[in-house]
Amino acid sequence: MVSQKVTVKNEAGLHARPASVLVKTASRFKSEFYIRMYGYEVNGKSILGVMTLAAESGAEMELILEGPDEEAALEAIVKVFENKFKNEL
Amino acid sequence: MKEYQPKILSGKPAAQGIGIGTVWILPDENKAIRPEKIKKNEIEKHIKKFESAREYLTIEYEKIKNIPADYELAEIIDAQIQTLNDPEVKLSIEKKIRVDYYTVEYAIFSTFNEYIQLLQAANAKWANERMIDVVSIRDEMIEATWEKKKDFDVKEGQVVFATDISPTNMVKLSHIKISGIVMKKGGFTSHAVILSQSLGIPCVINANWDRLSLKKGYDVIIDGSTGQVILWPSWKQSEEYRKRRLDGLVRYEKALEWAQKANRTTCGYPFVLRANVEFLEELPRLESHGAKGIGLLRTETLLFEAEEFDVNQQVNFYRNVAKASKNESVTIRLFDAGGDKILENSDFESNPFLGWRGVRMLLDKKDLLKNQLEAIYRVSGEFPGKLKILIPMVSRLEEILAVKKLCKTVQRVLSKKSVHFDEGVKIGVMVEVPSIALTAGRIAKHCDFFSIGTNDLTQYTLAVDRGNERISYLFDSFHPAIWKLIKMTKDAADRHGIPVAICGEMASKPEAAACFLGMGINDLSMNTASLPAVKSVLCSHARNEMEKLSADVLKSEALKEIHELLEPWRAI
Repeated sequence: MVSQKVTVKNEAGLHARPASVLVKTASRFKSEFYIRMYGYEVNGKSILGVMTLAAESGAEMELILEGPDEEAALEAIVKVFENKFKNEL
Repeated sequence: MKEYQPKILSGKPAAQGIGIGTVWILPDENKAIRPEKIKKNEIEKHIKKFESAREYLTIEYEKIKNIPADYELAEIIDAQIQTLNDPEVKLSIEKKIRVDYYTVEYAIFSTFNEYIQLLQAANAKWANERMIDVVSIRDEMIEATWEKKKDFDVKEGQVVFATDISPTNMVKLSHIKISGIVMKKGGFTSHAVILSQSLGIPCVINANWDRLSLKKGYDVIIDGSTGQVILWPSWKQSEEYRKRRLDGLVRYEKALEWAQKANRTTCGYPFVLRANVEFLEELPRLESHGAKGIGLLRTETLLFEAEEFDVNQQVNFYRNVAKASKNESVTIRLFDAGGDKILENSDFESNPFLGWRGVRMLLDKKDLLKNQLEAIYRVSGEFPGKLKILIPMVSRLEEILAVKKLCKTVQRVLSKKSVHFDEGVKIGVMVEVPSIALTAGRIAKHCDFFSIGTNDLTQYTLAVDRGNERISYLFDSFHPAIWKLIKMTKDAADRHGIPVAICGEMASKPEAAACFLGMGINDLSMNTASLPAVKSVLCSHARNEMEKLSADVLKSEALKEIHELLEPWRAI
């Protein structure tokens, strides 16, 4: 298992479109992915779950990955946060 | 034989074109699903129903993605596909069937409702918008589990009436070559509207037909350019619209060829045609339709998409727009919210059109206004001489002075931060309240240009709410009083040496545009779809013909007379 704390950096927060980008990235990996925030935990591959976090700009959360490709997945997901959820296109 | 009287319903125009056909009504979606239980031996059947509903909808949504529309729509649909295949949703639905013995309908219904409640509790502004999408996924999935699917017995040529239309239904409808769409709800950015525009289906939104006891098969005409819906049209109306539709198609084809020609009358008098723009998606049409820059950039959408509210997002928006208009100018109208575009959290007003809107609201919400001005000035530095500011809903001089003062404040702040900006950004006033047209000479001393908003000027001058069906026939911008106010505004502007432009719906009518040119107003802004037709008429007449037209119109006493004068100018 690997984990890392990240901050939501884009102005608008983790709303629908960013959530979609996040889920799309996470779903490329086999590892299970959970997001922990305020003692609340959601499946990071569930778009509705991620949306219900309603994380605003500046919110801190912990990414937890477990599985065969956990390192690569964590790296990719952290990058999504750093790029402010810009679509990879 | 019982004779039905023609009935006119007014909605908002959402996609151009005239649709003629018979009424077809899309049944409203669900409904409350009751928590019914199943027997143990039915579990697998219900699980299978869920699986196939999910697969079916995913395929349907993938199909929509391939329709040439826009990037934003594709993103929304991506999110819908992810919702359909959400692993937590799947777990929850399977558990409700396998462990709790609920029917597949109720398992889907209650699972999505749980998320809807969580989203409501999250209380984020964007969540409201997404909730609609989640509700539509929920209902579509329930419907997809039914063995006998609701059949679409809509036929080619019918006009679809619906409360709202989900993206999947919209695509199904588009395969059938329907003549038009009328919706009770729907915003200009709803999926159905974006799709109907890119598919060329005339569409009217915000039309409420509750009082008409509408039935399938009634004759109907819809006009996607004015938002009018005519039920039981008379024979004469049918003929007129049939002709207009045919003319429109022929004219549009022919007129598009005009787009690249020079903006001159047959005698060489130059004019400028610009575009009214609200969404970035419209920008590619500037070039194809021959617009010289943007005469009216509506910015309210930024306000409604609360997530894109800050200065930086605005800067990006204005920058993209300025880039797309090449070397031409962009007139940015300050947030014109209120009235029909009521802001969230705002108090209910019994008379919103005479209420807290436009500059009145902006001067109460100075931070909002300062943010917008800051964004505009920031971008102005990158495009010197290109950006202009337009103040909406001005009814007295003091409002202009207050906005100008704030502009100075913003400029000082930017100077301190060493941000480069254009000091010469022109500040103009919307002429849409009669008090401004009547005192245009005094107002002209304090602003750099006028832009006449003919829709509001008409409704405030004639005291007609065009949304009120009973009196909407009184809404006629060709009324002698409107021409007179426009002429007064132009004369006053000439005396003080400031330019006048028209950015209202009137400019998009070739016959009115010709009359404006005759009055010496040669800067017109309109929706891109109207540009070719207007240009074709202006290019194929001489200025002295137009001068005669405007002189005759200004002399006319009756509306009928004016309509007769203008009629021959409706197309080349």
